Amino acid sequence: MTANPTGFEPVFCTIVPPVVLDRLAQSSDPALAKAARRTLQRDAYERTQRRLTTVIGAPSVAAPKGAEEGKPHRTIHDAKHRTDLPGRKVRGEGDKPGKDATVNRAYAGLGATFEVFFKHFERDSIDGGGLPLNATVHYGEDYGNAFWNGEQMVFGDGDREIFLDFTIPVDVIGHELTHGVVQYTANLTYFGQPGALNESMADVFGSLIKQYTLGQTADQADWLIGAGLLAERVTGKALRSMKEPGTAYDDDVLGKDPQPADMDHYVRTGRDNGGVHINSGIPNRAFYLVAEALGGHAWERAGQIWYAVLTGGELAQDASFTDFAKLTVAAARAKYGDGDELKAVLDAWAQVKVPTA
Amino acid sequence: MRIQVKRTGGFAGIDRHAEVDTTARPDAQEWHALAERAEAEGRGTPPVGVPDGFSYQITIDGRTVYCSDPRLTDDQRTLITRVLKEGS
Repeated sequence: MTANPTGFEPVFCTIVPPVVLDRLAQSSDPALAKAARRTLQRDAYERTQRRLTTVIGAPSVAAPKGAEEGKPHRTIHDAKHRTDLPGRKVRGEGDKPGKDATVNRAYAGLGATFEVFFKHFERDSIDGGGLPLNATVHYGEDYGNAFWNGEQMVFGDGDREIFLDFTIPVDVIGHELTHGVVQYTANLTYFGQPGALNESMADVFGSLIKQYTLGQTADQADWLIGAGLLAERVTGKALRSMKEPGTAYDDDVLGKDPQPADMDHYVRTGRDNGGVHINSGIPNRAFYLVAEALGGHAWERAGQIWYAVLTGGELAQDASFTDFAKLTVAAARAKYGDGDELKAVLDAWAQVKVPTA
Repeated sequence: MRIQVKRTGGFAGIDRHAEVDTTARPDAQEWHALAERAEAEGRGTPPVGVPDGFSYQITIDGRTVYCSDPRLTDDQRTLITRVLKEGS
């Protein structure tokens, strides 16, 4: 985003309202349409960048008074089925559980996520500097989704037809928080392969948080994302399977789980930001294979290798699967030498057909 | 008026679409006014969304605009919700 390769600077940049630019972008005059389109693209891009730098460049939000290092600073808000964020504060750090199970689950899930990152990855909160953790529950009406908006987590109650409450699976809570960690570290672009890596990171750490809360080893874990989220009438066990991508659900309404299990079946698509929730199946399975080969708690060795790559500073924002795979090989070697870990990583990527050399 | 809504992305990464033909509806005028407001507030290119956020494509009589969660206008949100609920 420095030089303009064409040398042509659209004169209406930032002055003309987006609606007019949109109309110009559809103009029959190609020069006009092209310039307008470029402005719109840049505008969208810069707005995102601004949002990212605001968060990344800013000094960490001050921890509340009396806060201790190594303790989370959680606040849960209730949107009361509206969409204004963050909504009304319903539970702060240290407050006793209330009557609302959704609020209590969100609070506990944030705590578990904080604990895993702090205890096992020596990371103090999302930004590594004790950032307060904010979540909003009961977002929108029949809202079947959860997301990370760049600053906080947002959870819907589901429509009850297909999705239940998004705070039910702790891995979903861990997933959303991990998007925050990714934003503060490698900041992988949310499109195509880097986007699928961003999604995969969120699934990997989301699953580790679930395994940690259940005290499971790699062979005991179900490696499912979103188990317990699907309504009873849906034919499926979860939304994604890291162990067997493509097998999580097969339903009349939802269709079949579209995740590929290896690079030969990589899905090229424009939908879902270039298939970020689809192709994440490939790096997800690679992680599962490493964890399964090494045995024990998956956050101990497999998780350490993945985390080292995420936070090591060499993972580019636009990294491909191959770029990522190569860095995991290097990280395994650097951390553990020429041993089981290195072999497990090489074998895993070979199985999902992502080259590492 | 033919109003189509396509939703993509989200935590599940599952697409949904639905459409409403207002021709025979008694509340057609209301639909038209809502659709026009939602369209005027939309963008001609898909805005970059947030991780796991839904992205929407609204097509009204062949003209398409885009918007993304959580930055929807009230009219866009109302229109999207109604089309996905009442449309086929």
